[in-house]
Amino acid sequence: MSLENGMRKLLIICALFLAALAPLPTAAALQVDVTQGNIKPIPIAIPDLLAGDPSQAQTGANIAQVVRADLQRSGLFNTIDPKAFVDHITNINTAPNFANWRVINAQGLVAGEVSLQPDGRLKVEFRLWDVYSENQMLGQQFFTQPENWRRVAHMVSDAIYSRITGESGYFDTRIVFISESGPAIKRIKRLAVMDEDGANPIFLTRGDYLVLTPRFNPTAQMIAYMSYIATKPHIYLFDLETGKQEELGNFPNMTFSPRFSPDGNRVALALETAGNSDIYVMDLRTRAVQRLTTDPAIDSAPSFSPDGRQIAFESDRGGSKQIYVMNVDGSNQHRISFGAGQNGTPVWSPRGDLIAFTKEQGAHFTIGVMRTDGSGERMITNAYHDEGPTWAPNGRVLMFSREAQNSRGSQIWSVDVTGRNEQRVMTPGDASDPAWSPLIQ
Amino acid sequence: MSKSQSQTRSAKRGFAQRPPRPTTARGPRAGLAVSLLLHAALISATYLTWSRMVNGSEVSHAVPVDLITVTRVTNIAAMAPPPPPTPPKIEVPVPQMEAPALPQFNDVEPAPEPPMPQFKIQPEKKAEQQNAETKQKQNSQDFAALLNKLTAPAKTPPNVKVGPRTIQGIGAANAMTADLADALKSQIYQCWSPPVGAPNANDLVVDFDLRLNPDGTVAAASSPALSNANPNPYNRAAASAGEAAIFKCQPYKLPADRYSQWSEINPLRFDPRQMMNQ
Repeated sequence: MSLENGMRKLLIICALFLAALAPLPTAAALQVDVTQGNIKPIPIAIPDLLAGDPSQAQTGANIAQVVRADLQRSGLFNTIDPKAFVDHITNINTAPNFANWRVINAQGLVAGEVSLQPDGRLKVEFRLWDVYSENQMLGQQFFTQPENWRRVAHMVSDAIYSRITGESGYFDTRIVFISESGPAIKRIKRLAVMDEDGANPIFLTRGDYLVLTPRFNPTAQMIAYMSYIATKPHIYLFDLETGKQEELGNFPNMTFSPRFSPDGNRVALALETAGNSDIYVMDLRTRAVQRLTTDPAIDSAPSFSPDGRQIAFESDRGGSKQIYVMNVDGSNQHRISFGAGQNGTPVWSPRGDLIAFTKEQGAHFTIGVMRTDGSGERMITNAYHDEGPTWAPNGRVLMFSREAQNSRGSQIWSVDVTGRNEQRVMTPGDASDPAWSPLIQ
Repeated sequence: MSKSQSQTRSAKRGFAQRPPRPTTARGPRAGLAVSLLLHAALISATYLTWSRMVNGSEVSHAVPVDLITVTRVTNIAAMAPPPPPTPPKIEVPVPQMEAPALPQFNDVEPAPEPPMPQFKIQPEKKAEQQNAETKQKQNSQDFAALLNKLTAPAKTPPNVKVGPRTIQGIGAANAMTADLADALKSQIYQCWSPPVGAPNANDLVVDFDLRLNPDGTVAAASSPALSNANPNPYNRAAASAGEAAIFKCQPYKLPADRYSQWSEINPLRFDPRQMMNQ
């Protein structure tokens, strides 16, 4: 017994001794944990795309310019001015001379070419290179009608953005908004759409009637909005393909703040009856209507979660306007916003992790985000009057309406969800109430 | 009068004649001493607690500072001269790159990566190096000459010194290389701009197996996240950001005489989770 004990002790001592010695002679590989970095826009060089045929040179330059503008606007890239280039791309099928691109500190390099196919289509191809590791990160090509060069440019931007950030892009998208013009007493408000970068603005209505709160459906082919066409405001649907519009449902009273479900088959809306508004959902296929809230307070601004199972909305049932969440059948209604001031216009992020909202404190309106349980409230703008947030399809950027303190018109601005990179979105004239489309299919 | 005096006296006497109570038995002076002692104990205890708390808060403040200005607390950075402005090396000893025949594009599909020419890395001659290391004191000159021979033009900066190792008792291997890890970190962090938008931060943590040449240039850097055929896009983007940082910041200035300790860094982990919580 005691011998056994002694042996055991000896073994333990030996093991300890060996354990203590073990790391010394083997000289194991060094281990390093890098936990702090230097987040800054990634420098990227995007020379004009080569032209397979001289007639395409201008298209190649145009596409490169749109891609540069897209990536620069995102705030995550720093596109290097082509005047600084010390080398140029002569053939996109050979590896570039990386040293010449390192000289100008480019981390990414895009080499592309446009050419006209025998069938009249435009072929746009590009490679994205990592200048430091000298690896190709991406290579793609697109075929399209020549007049679609701008969309292809946005697709190239999306591909580059997605490869480098890991997130899906948002450049090949459109914005529907309310274009405002005319004097304050006779303001003309028209429904309008434009590309995400402000190009190609198109007016969809003539401005005879007041229009408000336009929203895209998930295929970006249909817009729901509110209009005062026949004295009482109602929700209308506008089909972008056909240009047709129709009243949604046949409600006796005012309907407003429509929002499509993620599958596009239903529309949530607010219906007003004798001073009380409640939230309803209409099935677009059967036109069946289901009432979700019955509270005597004002419930409005419904917004679906991306999985379609919950709806966030605003209500003043607790005395002040706050954000509530319920199941899509109306059950389990509970308040989630408990921050200062009044909180409204909740919009569920397409990624599902956050809810954007407008906070009213005194005369100030600002945009914030919170988690879907109401925790982690964080304000991302700080101006006089910002309201009506809408998410980019990747849940990374928001647009909203901004009105300066002493101005009559409002503008559309965008901001990263971190609160950085606030930028004005250029619109023809004043604009408000933007809604971001999903990625166009 | 006398009656009242006697009453008082008898009262006093009566008081004195009572059985002594424990607290007053040693008189008011003893009580005072006990009270003073207790006060002193209380004050000293409070002082000790406060001083510890002050220290504690200083420590917790020091952590972010440590992370932001790594160079200030790193022995190597403190003693090394400021890095000279490195002129762009255009004629780096890159092997002649032959234009590779690139594969055909796929329609909108990512094209396969072209076969890139392999860098010709000089054989490391490990045995020789280890030998040289053991006889380091006798023939450090020879070793340096060997290094120079191995890596033709690039020279290890001669002035890099390593400060006294102050980290004790956390394992010999750690103590020996903690300064090297710090030195590498302080160089690489400036080049690292990770993507931080992922909903799941764990997707952004990537490990590399980094092998360095004796002159501090990169011999090879590999990561499972880069060779994954069907990658998570966030993970792939994070791996690319790490790879770019590794190559961008080379050559690494590390003490040449301890090359055997930093010839391989595995894992070199890029972990942006702390940065995302800001």
